[in-house]
Amino acid sequence: MTDGLEASYRRLYEDAPCGFLSMSGDDEILAVNNTLLAWLGLERGDVVGSTFNDLQTVGSTLFYETRYQPVLQLQGEVREVSLTLRRGDGSPMPVLVNATVDEATDDSPRIVRAAIFDSTSRQDYEKALLDARRSAESSEARVRVLQDASSAFGAAGSEAELAAAMVRIAREAFSAGSAAVLLLDDDGQLQLTDGQHPFHAALSAGDARPETRAIADGEPLVLTASRGELADFPVVASALAGARIQTLSVVPIPGDDRPDGVLVCFFGRAREFNSHDLELLAALARQFCQTLTRIRLRDELERLALYDRLTGLANRALLQERLATSLAKATHSGSAMAVIFLDLDGFKPVNDLLGHAIGDSVLQQVSGRIADVVRRDDLVGRFGGDEFVVVCDDATEPVARAIATRIAATVAAPLESVGEEVSITASIGIAVYQPSERNREVSSSDDVLALADAAMYRSKKSGRRGVITADFV
Amino acid sequence: MATNPDASLHTSAPTSANSGAAVRRRNNVTELGDPSARTLLLAHGFGCSQEVWRKVAPDLARDFHVVLFDHVGAGGSDLSAYDAGKYDSLDGYADDVVEIVDGLGLRDVVYIGHSVSSMVGVLASTRRPDLFSALILVGPSARYVNDGDYVGGFEQADIDSLLDALDANYLGWSADMAPLIMGNSERPELGQELTASFCRIDPAIARQFARVTFLSDNRDDLPAVTTPTLVLQCADDIIAPTTVGRFVNESIPGSRMVLMKTRGHIPNLSGSDELIGEIRSYLK
Repeated sequence: MTDGLEASYRRLYEDAPCGFLSMSGDDEILAVNNTLLAWLGLERGDVVGSTFNDLQTVGSTLFYETRYQPVLQLQGEVREVSLTLRRGDGSPMPVLVNATVDEATDDSPRIVRAAIFDSTSRQDYEKALLDARRSAESSEARVRVLQDASSAFGAAGSEAELAAAMVRIAREAFSAGSAAVLLLDDDGQLQLTDGQHPFHAALSAGDARPETRAIADGEPLVLTASRGELADFPVVASALAGARIQTLSVVPIPGDDRPDGVLVCFFGRAREFNSHDLELLAALARQFCQTLTRIRLRDELERLALYDRLTGLANRALLQERLATSLAKATHSGSAMAVIFLDLDGFKPVNDLLGHAIGDSVLQQVSGRIADVVRRDDLVGRFGGDEFVVVCDDATEPVARAIATRIAATVAAPLESVGEEVSITASIGIAVYQPSERNREVSSSDDVLALADAAMYRSKKSGRRGVITADFV
Repeated sequence: MATNPDASLHTSAPTSANSGAAVRRRNNVTELGDPSARTLLLAHGFGCSQEVWRKVAPDLARDFHVVLFDHVGAGGSDLSAYDAGKYDSLDGYADDVVEIVDGLGLRDVVYIGHSVSSMVGVLASTRRPDLFSALILVGPSARYVNDGDYVGGFEQADIDSLLDALDANYLGWSADMAPLIMGNSERPELGQELTASFCRIDPAIARQFARVTFLSDNRDDLPAVTTPTLVLQCADDIIAPTTVGRFVNESIPGSRMVLMKTRGHIPNLSGSDELIGEIRSYLK
């Protein structure tokens, strides 16, 4: 009876519908059952005395040593851990493992017992599930990045804000240590618009840089230092080594006829970019470009709304806005400000006799000259026709008169593209606003302009050139 | 921060994290033993948390000030401090070690790093040699993937199957991993369950940490180490075979190497007595 029971336990162990392994505390295999030997196509002598590691694929042992072992030893058991064994013929066999630890006592050493279940069919299914999930996750992540970009770019009100949004999104999307957006300026030079760029400041004008190549090729560029891919960029290579950067990616930001700039990402270890990554980079760059176009267009419209198209000077709307601000500021600070009003003498015959094209050229030349002789913070505007206004903060009557005298002199100098018989001069009037206790009730900008206009009219009526009339508010 | 030019690259590193309290919270710092004794800073490797030192730390704490911590993403660390860009290379982890030492005001630190944290210690000590008096590297590897004549022990395909194994185990894994997958922020009862499990790691972070660990190459950093260094090499360690340990030993000027009898990659759990003995004898 006892023999029969023992024999049946023995059979149960050897021929159970799962594999059994017993290991010493040192991971040496002490016992294995027939089922597992049959699955693996190995002899008992091959297995006993080896380690559990020896039965696994290399990839599986990485997980076994770094994850399975610490948890097993700390917790005393693990359940349903997925590992991959290696059959005698080298083929892999996916299994699920339950294991428990019997801690050493005075009578017995430490023993680990493992039950092993063939999970081949389940593994196929799980692998398919896993692949599907990874693919879904990765496309979902890409969509999320583009949605995030879309809302962040939409909220950006300036090139700088747009670039900052791009830097943040690119860092997150690609786990980049740092990122930077560089845009080409009017001279074709790359300017750092936002982000951290470890070598931009260190480069001299002639140094080769990956950004220039990406712009010239119109293609993304991924370069890794340890693969020798920075050989063409020696200055960049040494700066990156100093900053402990292994890989950089550069993607051109498309523009009208040539790229507008680049997005650069920097990585602390050697990184690979697959086609999905490159597509995502390109998609971000396209989205950036659309927003950049919108922002630049809006800036341009704003400029058109506030500046005179012919001369580039402030238009009447901007002049009035600025004058109101200046009056309020002067009242607040108590310092004087002035408005200079000028009207060109001799302009009408130019237009009538030489045509509007020459007339426009004269207005442009005069505008440029006035802008050149005022102080840096003065605002010059075209009030209409051949009338100009200059708003001068912090200007007393002598200061305003000095500016007006410079204007009169520069306007009277000979002009290009018109004959010597044409002589243009300016009639100038000044209104000076001196805030005091008495005039706390500030005049409107219209009143001040009207006063300057009246002063100009008096100068003109005097019939003599060079007279500058001033009035006080 | 001024002493660390690289830190500027990690734009998310908040300056407040440099203060002691913030670092303690972020890295779940634990201290044992007499704070006036010599400090041992114990760093865990990939796959576990500071719990991997539980058979080692109490013994050492009888004679040393033992400081333990979790890398961000592991154990009781602050997961919200995880910045994928910063932690995409071991430099981000080395920044944290320097911040822990600075934040806690530690000096003459003996850094004991297990597995990948060996290289984290190498990077921290080359960046700030003034902070460390010794490095003890347990099962170090400067590069896991074979490269030309260099034998690291693995091929890229092996690392890919580790990532498969990680995913497969989080996908089907049982009770102790399930709460992590579900997320426990809105389910406090799951958090309760979590405190009973070991070596918690966030699955998404573990995946990136696996890549950073097994695809890093720190061979060029070893010759720059000036801190006295001990390499502790186990027998039959397939993660860091003896040839790999010897490479580390030969590349760090003046370092010593001891071949231990303990087999495998985690002597801190499977051969703690021998490991403690070697640490004590080196620090005598």
